This record gives sequence, C-alpha cells and structure tokens, in this order.
Amino acid sequence: MWLPSYATPSERMMRILVVVFAILVMLFLIAPLFIIVPLSFSKDPFFTLPVREYSLRWYADLFGNPRWMEAMVNSGIAAVLTTIFATTLGTLAALGIARPDFPARRFVMALLISPMIVPIVIVAVGSYLFFGQFGLTNTRAGLVFAHTALATPFVVITVTATLSTYDTNLTRAANSLGASGLSAFFRVTLPNILPGVISGAIFAFATSFDEVVVALFLTAAEQRTLPVQMFSGIRDQINPTIMAAATMLLALSILLFAALTILTRKKAR
Amino acid sequence: MTASPDIERIRTFVAVRRAARPARRAAFSLALPLVAFLLIAFVAPILYLLVTAVDNPETKTVLPQTLTALESWDGASTPEEAVFAALAADLKIAQENSTAALVGKRLNYEISGMRSKVLAASRMVAGMDAGPYREAFLDQSDLWAAPETWAVIQRNGASLTPYYLLTAVDLKQSPTGGLERVQPDQAIFLTILGRTLLVAGMVTAFTLILGYPVAYVLTIAPKTIAAVMMLMVLLPLWTSLLVRTTAWVVLLQSDGVINSILMTLHLTAEKVQLIFTRVGTVTAMTHIQLPFTILPIYSVMRSIQPTQLRAARSLGAGPTSAFWRIYAPQTLPGVVAGCLMTFILSLGYYITPALVGGPQDQMVSNFISTYINRDLNWGLAAALGVVLLIVTLAIYGLFLRLVGADKIKLG
Amino acid sequence: MTALQDRTSATGKPDDALVRFTEVKKSYDGIQYVVKDLNLDVAKGEFLTMLGPSGSGKTTTLMMLGGFERPTLGHILLDGKPVEKLPPEKRNIGFVFQNYALFPHMTVAENVAFPLRYRGIRGDAAREKVKRALGRVSLEAMGDRKPAQLSGGQQQRVALARALVFEPSLVLMDEPLGALDKQLRERMQIEIKHLQTSLGITMVYVTHDQSEALTMSDRIAVFHDGRIQQLADPKTLYNAPENRFVAGFIGENNTMACSLMGRETGLAVVKMADGSTLKASDTVLSADADLTLSVRPENIMLAGDQTPPGMNLFSGIATDVFFLGDHMRLSVEAFGGQTVTARIPIAVARTFAPGETVHLACMAADCRLLEG
Repeated sequence: MWLPSYATPSERMMRILVVVFAILVMLFLIAPLFIIVPLSFSKDPFFTLPVREYSLRWYADLFGNPRWMEAMVNSGIAAVLTTIFATTLGTLAALGIARPDFPARRFVMALLISPMIVPIVIVAVGSYLFFGQFGLTNTRAGLVFAHTALATPFVVITVTATLSTYDTNLTRAANSLGASGLSAFFRVTLPNILPGVISGAIFAFATSFDEVVVALFLTAAEQRTLPVQMFSGIRDQINPTIMAAATMLLALSILLFAALTILTRKKAR
Repeated sequence: MTASPDIERIRTFVAVRRAARPARRAAFSLALPLVAFLLIAFVAPILYLLVTAVDNPETKTVLPQTLTALESWDGASTPEEAVFAALAADLKIAQENSTAALVGKRLNYEISGMRSKVLAASRMVAGMDAGPYREAFLDQSDLWAAPETWAVIQRNGASLTPYYLLTAVDLKQSPTGGLERVQPDQAIFLTILGRTLLVAGMVTAFTLILGYPVAYVLTIAPKTIAAVMMLMVLLPLWTSLLVRTTAWVVLLQSDGVINSILMTLHLTAEKVQLIFTRVGTVTAMTHIQLPFTILPIYSVMRSIQPTQLRAARSLGAGPTSAFWRIYAPQTLPGVVAGCLMTFILSLGYYITPALVGGPQDQMVSNFISTYINRDLNWGLAAALGVVLLIVTLAIYGLFLRLVGADKIKLG
Repeated sequence: MTALQDRTSATGKPDDALVRFTEVKKSYDGIQYVVKDLNLDVAKGEFLTMLGPSGSGKTTTLMMLGGFERPTLGHILLDGKPVEKLPPEKRNIGFVFQNYALFPHMTVAENVAFPLRYRGIRGDAAREKVKRALGRVSLEAMGDRKPAQLSGGQQQRVALARALVFEPSLVLMDEPLGALDKQLRERMQIEIKHLQTSLGITMVYVTHDQSEALTMSDRIAVFHDGRIQQLADPKTLYNAPENRFVAGFIGENNTMACSLMGRETGLAVVKMADGSTLKASDTVLSADADLTLSVRPENIMLAGDQTPPGMNLFSGIATDVFFLGDHMRLSVEAFGGQTVTARIPIAVARTFAPGETVHLACMAADCRLLEG
C-alpha cells in the first residue's frame, strides 16, 4: 500500500513526512476556493472569518441587479455559441489529424494548440486592433470569434485523445458491411468518440464562460460578460456581491467538472 | 550498367506519393476549416499586432509637404524658409482636420515637449496669412532651430519605424542613425521583461517543489484516496481563473482572512501587508499553476514500474540512492513538460498581477494593456507584445522539441 | 486433421475464379514494396488461406481485396470486374476483423442487423434474418446483450454472424481466432470450416498459425517477403515444400547444405559437407546451384538390424536428448558439425548419453532437395 514491507525506519519517517507535506499542499490547493462560499453568505460587508451572521442579501443583490443578470445572459450566449463552433471545428480537425495520411502533422498540431500558449493579452490586443478594422469590436460576433479560437485547442486535444483509443477497424467493419463514409461516421464513429467530443464541448464552454481579458477588450457595456463585470467590480471596490457571483461561478465549475468526471468514468469502463 | 534501376525507383516513389495524394488531401480537408478559421481569427490579429509595432503613418500623412521640402535640406543647419513654409502649409491643413495632435504625440515620443510645440505652432500658423514663417517658428521655440528636430521629422517620413521595437528593449536611434541605450530613468522595459521572467521562474520553481511530492503521493496512495486527491488537483484547474484570483484578493486583504487568522493566533501584532505585494502575487500564481505542473509529472511517475526500485534495492542501493539514481531521472520528462508549461503560461499572466500585485509586480502583459487603454500608444503596446510573443514562442519551440504538442493532456 | 481435403479441382480454370490478382504491387512509402508481383486466383467455393509471418504482405493483400488499401500497381478482379477503385461498402464482401470490430454501442442483434439496413432489408424480414444468422452460430439468446457482455468466443461468433447475414459470396477473415485460447480456437476452426462448406461460401483467410491453415484450407498460399513462396493444397505443401522458407515454416525440418553429384535410378546423389553421400528424391534442379537437403525429424529413424536396404544411413554424436511423452527428441551432430534432429517414437526409443555415437537412417524419398 503506502510502503513496501522492506522499508527501513528512516524510510518510513521520510515517507510520513512526504505524505504530510502532500496533504498540506492539497489543503493549499483546495481551501482558497471554498473560502469565498461562507463569505458570500455573510451578512457583513467585510471579509473576515468566522462569519458572524448568515444571510442571502448578496445573492438578492446579485439577482436583483439588472447589470449582473444581463452579464450572466451575455456570458451564457457567448459560451453556447463558442461551444457549438469550437466543438464542430475541433472535432473535424481531430478526425483529420488522426488519419495516418495526414500531412505535416507535427506542424499543424503545433499551430492548433498555440491559442493555449500565446499570452492572452496578445490575443486580446491583436483582436482588438484587427477586429476594429472590420467593426467587430464591441459586438457579440467578435467576442464569439475570439473565444472560439481560444477554445478549439481543448476540443482538438480531448477528441484526439479519444480517437487514439478508437479502433479504426470499427469504421472499416461498417464500410465492409455496406455503410458509406458519412453513414459510418454518424452510426459508428461518432457514438464511440462521443465522450471525448462532449468533454471537449464542456472545456470549450468553460473556456468562454470564464474568460476575462479578451472580453475586456472586445466588449462594450451591452455585451459585458459576467467575468468582466466581476473584474471591474474587484478593481473598483470589492464587495460581497462579487463573492456571490464567484460562488455561482464556482458552483458551475463543479457542475461541469462532475459531468466530465462521470463521462470519463463511463468511458474507462 | 546505366542508372535505370535508380530512375525506376524514383519513378515508383513519385507514383506512390501521387497515389497517396487523395488520401492526404482528404485527411487535410477535415482540418482545413479549423486551420482557416485560426488563420483569420487568431494568426491574422497577431500578425496585425506585429505590423502595428512598426507602423508609422503619422508624420507621413500629416506633414507630406514638409517631408518633400526636407529632401534638399543639408541635415546639419536650421532649414531654409521653404521648409518652414511647407511645414506651415501642412499644419494649416492639420489644424483644420485636427490631426496636429496626432503628429505632435508621435514626435513627442522621440523629442519631449514636441506635442505642445506642434499644437502651438499649428494654432499660430492658422492665424497667419503669409510668411515669412521661419522667424515666427524660431521665435516660438528653440526646438525648431535644432537640426536634431528636423532629423527626427525626416526619419519619421518612412512608413515603417524601428522606434517602438527599440524602445521595448530600452534602445533608441541616435541622431546619427546608430543604436544607443536610452537614459537610465527611461530604461524600464528590460526591467519589466526581467521581472516577468523572474516571477514566471519563481512560480515554476515553487510549483515544482510543492507539486513533485504531491504527484509522488498520488502514485503510492491506495486507489480510492488517490482518486479523491486527483479530484482535489483537477477541481482548481476547472475553476475560473478569476474566481481563484478573487479568492486570493479576499484572503490577502489587510482586513482579510489571513490577517485575521494571524491576529487571532497572536502571530503578529499588526496587520501584515500581503495584497499588492510580490509575495501575494507569486503565492496566488503558484496556487493557480500548481495543477499544470503536477499532472505531467504524475503521468510520467505512474508509468515507472515499482519493480525498478525493488531491483535497485536488491542490487545494493539504499533508499536515498535508489530514489536519486533510479527514480528521479526517470521522472525528468514529466518535470520538463510540467515546468515548461507552467513557465510559458506564467509569462502571459495579466489578471492576477493586476488584481493581487502592486505597481512593482506588474508584468509585460499589464503594461501592454496600459499602453493600449490609458496611453493610447498602440505602437509601443504592440512592440511589447512582439517581445513577449518572441520569448513565449521560443519556449514553446523548446517545449515542442522536448515534449511535443501531442503530449498535452487535460486531466 | 479431418478437414484436410484434397481438392485439386479448386486450383481453378479461369472461369472458375471469383477473385483474381494480376501483377499486384503495394508500396506505402514508394521505396519498399510490401507486396511484390502478386498473381493469385481464388476459385468459387474455395477455402484459401494466406499463411505467413508478420510483415509478409498477407494482411495487406487481404486489405486490398477488402477495399481498405489500394494496390499501387496491378489489378484485382472480383467476379471478372476490376475493383481497385471500388470502395469497401460497394464490394459486398463479408469481412471478419482481427479483434472482431463489433460496434460496442449496439446490441448483438443490432450489430448483426447493421448490414441489412444498407441492403434495404428492414422490419420482420431483417429480424428473421438476424435470428437465423445468430442461430447458425448458436447465439439466439444473446441478441439483446452488448458485445462487452460476451466472452471472446461468443464475440467471435457474432462477428461471424454479422459477416454472413447478408449472404456475401466471398468472406475475408483476418486472423479471426488470434485472441482465443487454444481449445476454443480448435473448436472454432471446425465450426468455421463447416459453415463455409455448408453455405458454399468462398473464403479467404489470413493467419500466421500453420496448423490452423492446414486444418481448414483447400489451398494455402505461403507468403514471405511480399511474395507467394508456394501455393498448394495442405498435403503437397507439407510433403513437398518447394523452397527453404516453406520447408522451414511449415512443420519442422532439418536443412543441410549439400551439392549435387549425379543421378542414379531416378534419385539424386548429393555430397554432404563432410564428403559423405546421400540419396534424395530427384526434383528437377540445375546442377550448379547451392542446394539444401531437407528432411523432417519424424522421417529419421534409428538404424538397426531391421533397417531395410537402400536407405540413407549416417551417424552422429548425440548432443541433446529430451523426453516428450509420446516421443523422444534426439539431436545429433553429423555431416561435419551440422545439427540433425530426429523424432523417435517412444516405443522404439532407448536412452542415449550425450557424446554417444548414434546411427540413423532415412528414406531417400523423404529427403528433398531445395535450391538456396
């Protein structure tokens, strides 16, 4: 289990130290996330623990404020559109890359992954200047355009990973039994790589829904997204309504993460 | 014998490549929509940014007559009336189109004080019906008499300029055309770049120190515990970067959670300044980047057979020696992958330094944003972007070389 | 070895050929050929096995016939029509894959019904056909299960049912029994053979297992290095291998270098490495070629008083002696340093000590001369 039976006493000691250290690091990883939850339910407008009195006043504030509600709707619309485009483009590309005949695979893969790598400010500023030439700044189309570019690497990676475990003989079998290319794809290939495609879609959704910097540059008040609203709030004067919004975002992340975990579990079976 | 078997071989080679072409085309056509999309929505904006870094339209469009008149200037003395007359004509038009501020601002980058002089001069010439202009200009400011001023105007007649890129690395063009360092009080950009690299390096080192033991414990823990630990590593990765940064803002505040804990435990008598400090920034960034370092190390560690360590022990190595000589070297690919990834991503941080860091912790990204939004100096913002992009792509190139794009996994 | 049949009729008149490969070559990189100059006819109703080690080109040949690879050069005729450019779904060939390739998201019945949909068979007619196909492989009760809930042998049968349900005239199999354990494999061999003969299907079967090939096939094509080394019925292949590769690949063989000295009463006389002479069956050969003498271990016996006259006699020093239940495996060093292995039935065996001189005999008819 934790230790081989031949371990020496000093080795045991060392092992205990390592495990304790790891537990402390885990605490460091997790605790800060959940610190915002009690604060969002506090009645007081300041950030100290323990909470003296609980209330829902900041949530009432959040849901009662049209600016926050508008921001949530904007984020939702942008994220859904991004998910649709990124998943379609990314899945198609992954299908191509997985074929043995794909030319210049390493180079193309490096290009497709690069939106993950290039500093977000460069993407934001570049899009701001470039899209401005075509009147795409301060439009939802511009935002979805840039977010789709940022989200596609996640789809490409998850679908490629799923395809690497996909038995290409299944497609061949479908062909030999009479199914043509498209029919074989929809009836055999797609159902079998669906977990990877959905994982990619979840990643794409989260990428767009959480993204701040590009949205900061490309949106005006009408398209302002939830993270932008939060960011400006923290910059001006941090208040517990932001804690309520952060808690909502955290809950959404946990929900998406749970969906993904269940999905990959099923695949493993 | 002739070389015919060789020619035959080349012919078949060509034939086979040609026969494979439809399949290659079919495979590529699937990726084509995404490649085309990225070229438009991602690569083109970045290229546009590169162009902005050298673009120099102001002088050329606002002072065309002046530039023509300067062609016959000797370059060493104060120009003749003809040049001033051309400048006056240009500025009259500029005053009408309100473009004088544009060229004034541009020239001000290279000669401080030029902005107000240009604006004043254009107001002045707007009230003059006829020359001589030379006296009027020279009366207005000594700057108009200096040959350096005219050299700068002449140089900026070119549609491309190295000015922004040079500034981004603390260099400038001397009047004679050579390169020289800028005044020490203006030399801030290399410091910012150095700071960015330093912070990224510190974050990388801390994530490695904290993450390596966690990755190891993940491999030795019993299955269910390991699964729970894995969830604890992946959940932060899933949480919005902004939410995690918000959490740190709240934790680090003077009236925040950490200070209140320290005070309750009587560890400090006074509130400790944590937010808007380097310590706060690096701590928050380490927290955010930790999963990126842990995951590749863990995936390599998982593939190391436990029998390896048993074999080392049976061959006479003690536990410490077995770890350092057998185990640690095999984890190196994971360490390289994780550290390079964290370093690359840390270079581009913007949100966290902006919210948690103080003025001394702002990274290149923050300055790019400032130059775009506050100073409206797009050229310099773009040039800083170019520098950051080059550094990032160099390390990405190293990553592709050592690790490979196909090794990137998500959880 | 019950299914071992002598079907010389299947070697095929041209009009009999269902499949014909002419001058087919396949290269992936343009430098190396995986299949070189393949000419092969498969007759209607025939069970033809392509046997060879991995990388010999047999699977590539099968994939070209199935439509999953295109020949670089040459033609493939199916029922007299060229099919090189016909996609797999238009060929109407049943294909059984190595790991079965059952669709994991469909039930067994849905898997078997899959090809019917593309042939316009739906509803009750389809259900009836599925039921019959599953009945043929004794899996009527498993229709509602998912493939993952079946054992390896059952999955194999589903794959078989799926490839047969649309009554193709040609069925291709790519190492279909490779993943099964030995007992199950032998049972499936017989089942497949029965299905093939009772339904009158033409079968092209790929395997690297020689006993599987010998059990099931009407004819066997031995592949090596991208070429067919020998194409013959199992008996001929075993008893009269045409070259060294086939001799070594099918069963066990002692191969020894020798040279031709002359001919005598219909037999060839060869000189061994140590100068001694042996007689061998005279297969037409050029005299100057380097020759190999091949003789199977079970055809070498202990020489003694009862040894009939006219046999090849030789002696050697015993090196290894192994007891293997029904027989003894005796290795001797003979003909100046060559190892010769003999399989001695336990009834006539006695014990030997290593280093002991052993006298052996074999019939001239069992000694075959091979080129190279």
